Amino acid sequence: MATVHLQDSHTRFTDGVKVLEVEGATIGQIIDALEAAHPGIGHLLREGSSFAVDGELQPRGTFLAAVPDGSEVHFLIPITGG
Amino acid sequence: MTATENPPKKYKYVGTRPIRHDGLDKVIGKARFAADLNLPGQLRAVIVRSPHAHARIVSIDTSAAEAMPGVKSVVTGADFPELDINHATFDESVNVMARDEVLYHGHAVAAVAATTIGEARAAAAAVVVEYDVIDPVMEIEDALADGAIIANTKNRTLFMGSDDESNLASFAPFSRGDVDEGFGSADVVVEGHFTTRFVHQGYIEPHGCVADVGQDGKASVWGSSQGHFAMRSKSADILGWSTDRIKVTPAEIGGGFGGKTTIYLEPVAILLSQKAARPVKLIMSREEVLRATGPAPAAEITCKLGATNDGELTTMQATMKYSNGSAKGYAAMLGAMSTASYKFPNLSIETFGTINNIPRSAAYRAPSAPQAAFAVESLVDEIAKAIDMDPIDLRVKNAVVEGDLTAMGAPHPKIGFIETMNAIKDSEHYNSPVPEGAGRGFGTGFWFNIGEQSSATVNLNEDGTATVITGSPDIGGSRASMALMAAETLGLDPMRITPIVADTESVGFTDITEGSRATFATGMAVTNACLELVAEMKSRAAVLRGVEVDAVEWVDGAAIVDGHDPLTIPEITAQAKMTGGPLTSTASLNAAGAGPSFAAHLADVRVDEETGQVEILRYTAAQDAGTAIHPSYVEGQMQGGSVQGIGWALNEEYVYSDDGVLENASFLDYRMPVASDLPMIETIIVEVPNPSHPYGVRGVGETGIVPPLNTIANAVSDATGVRMRNLPMSPPTVLKAINDAKG
Repeated sequence: MATVHLQDSHTRFTDGVKVLEVEGATIGQIIDALEAAHPGIGHLLREGSSFAVDGELQPRGTFLAAVPDGSEVHFLIPITGG
Repeated sequence: MTATENPPKKYKYVGTRPIRHDGLDKVIGKARFAADLNLPGQLRAVIVRSPHAHARIVSIDTSAAEAMPGVKSVVTGADFPELDINHATFDESVNVMARDEVLYHGHAVAAVAATTIGEARAAAAAVVVEYDVIDPVMEIEDALADGAIIANTKNRTLFMGSDDESNLASFAPFSRGDVDEGFGSADVVVEGHFTTRFVHQGYIEPHGCVADVGQDGKASVWGSSQGHFAMRSKSADILGWSTDRIKVTPAEIGGGFGGKTTIYLEPVAILLSQKAARPVKLIMSREEVLRATGPAPAAEITCKLGATNDGELTTMQATMKYSNGSAKGYAAMLGAMSTASYKFPNLSIETFGTINNIPRSAAYRAPSAPQAAFAVESLVDEIAKAIDMDPIDLRVKNAVVEGDLTAMGAPHPKIGFIETMNAIKDSEHYNSPVPEGAGRGFGTGFWFNIGEQSSATVNLNEDGTATVITGSPDIGGSRASMALMAAETLGLDPMRITPIVADTESVGFTDITEGSRATFATGMAVTNACLELVAEMKSRAAVLRGVEVDAVEWVDGAAIVDGHDPLTIPEITAQAKMTGGPLTSTASLNAAGAGPSFAAHLADVRVDEETGQVEILRYTAAQDAGTAIHPSYVEGQMQGGSVQGIGWALNEEYVYSDDGVLENASFLDYRMPVASDLPMIETIIVEVPNPSHPYGVRGVGETGIVPPLNTIANAVSDATGVRMRNLPMSPPTVLKAINDAKG
């Protein structure tokens, strides 16, 4: 179980809820669980998000990144650079 | 003067300043940039560009051009496959070559290859394009107005799930706490509307490439970019080819600053070469660079801050509107995300990205952060004045530390913001009096930095020298940094190491050199490969000494076994044939744990109240590098970012006519600062190591451009008593503001 923090722009899929408890051992599993509960959010999280696990910014697309039990997961707007 | 804070010395090579490995070739003119390459039988190509900012293409007739002397091939949008509108490379595809819609003045509509550049130019002029001209949408508010003309009919607002045409590129809110309550509890509330214009990255080397498609249908491309693997994959997408048909060799790059993270020419050159069965060279002119490549977005930001009389920043509320130019992007969201420097318990930001008939915008160092920081840091400066508090003390009181939240809600990792501001406060500059008649401004900036994918191969040669092979184009001294990290890990003098940037078939996939990631992520791959080599050399030494590997220690480039002389790297490599063969190692990774970087700048300016001209008298930049692998190149990045930000603040802007034609498409009229305009930029490197990197690297390429806009605005305000909210602060703008204030 991880505590998932969403952006305001994600909450149109979650009835305004920004912080959720979600089961999943990887980022991909957490996205799948969120999609099952809140259809439509999965595409946004997979294609349009960066994410951090316990404060550490993860590379985009690393959906197999481990999420230890009790972790804090933040889905972020995609971070790019110049 | 350049001052560097030296931490207690931890390393033998990291933190030293050897001459860069690629320096001599660049000094004597031997380094080969894209425009320097010529192949036997090579054709020269010219792009036909739209004279209109916004139009439908009714027809294109290339028959006259094809019949002209020397012409070997012609391409138009009809020669490219149509990508699905949701394809990740769709926008770049239509930016490379327009299909049915011209999105900005200078948009490519056709291309011609001929035996000589003169013949190509003549043939390009003979291409007949019939346009149905449409009014261009040039300003942010014009794009958002009810009933606005659609600037790009293929735009769909990012992640909104709508299939409707729209000028809205993106919309995203960010919030925490209760802003109404926050402003209610504030003693001081300041607000303002801030504007910045489109500016160009201004790299000295125009875009260019040479493409050669062989009889086997495979293309070899030599090009200037920040990422040749991305050049390969984007070109493959745009052409509908598989990536194995394209090999890209990175040319030296004459500056990128984010502007060469995308592509403009390569698929066109490949198609022209394929049609002609000859190599094709395609080089932009400076005018083409300014008319048709990515500027940094213009922005309109309304911002309001609340604070208590004892200096607690309680609340921030903002509306941030950024123009992405002709295609969708994250510009506005990135601006909001970059407001991550202060705790602000109550925060609300709404972001709007717009589409305009201006070239598709591109990153410029820390993308979108300078514009947002201009607004926020200007208002923080106003609060400091309103409550009569030192501007650094106010910022330090509210500065984020590890665990505090960004605007996106994620906690900061270990950061050095306060240390960076204190470095300025302790500086000789800050503690010297402001010159008579001048003003002093302080400001700060932040950028995230990223990790992503990198690969490295390290070969130990027979004589104990080494070759470090990476896939990160060297735009800021990364060859030297890679060599230093390899040197430190192996225990080998960096001048016995040759760092190479290899082509797409000679090293593992590596993401673009962007996000200040090369020294961080590629450096980590180099370090990992070297650690594997150290382990292997210990095994070889164990064989040579007849002991178990556990009995071998690695100390300063040599294997140490009790009772024996040390075995140095040359001694081990010389005997590699006997102990298991060549010593080589490859490491690849997708790096997590990028370390954010903060910068704090201090400027003294004098304003001529008769002309409005702003003179920079003294400028000091401090930045947290984590660890400065090669301090000279860290300082160079800090100085380069500062100067580009100063240009953004004082002079630079795209000037368009009413019909959307760029009127200052040359460096004569688009005025970037040169050395004679500025004092030496003083630098202070702050080192708060990033715990996620073996040597503590954060990356330094981007943050330096964030503070100058706000720092100089604060200095001009201090000098004149007039708050400047619109950039650039060019002489007419400043003079008008001064005169308006006088009434």
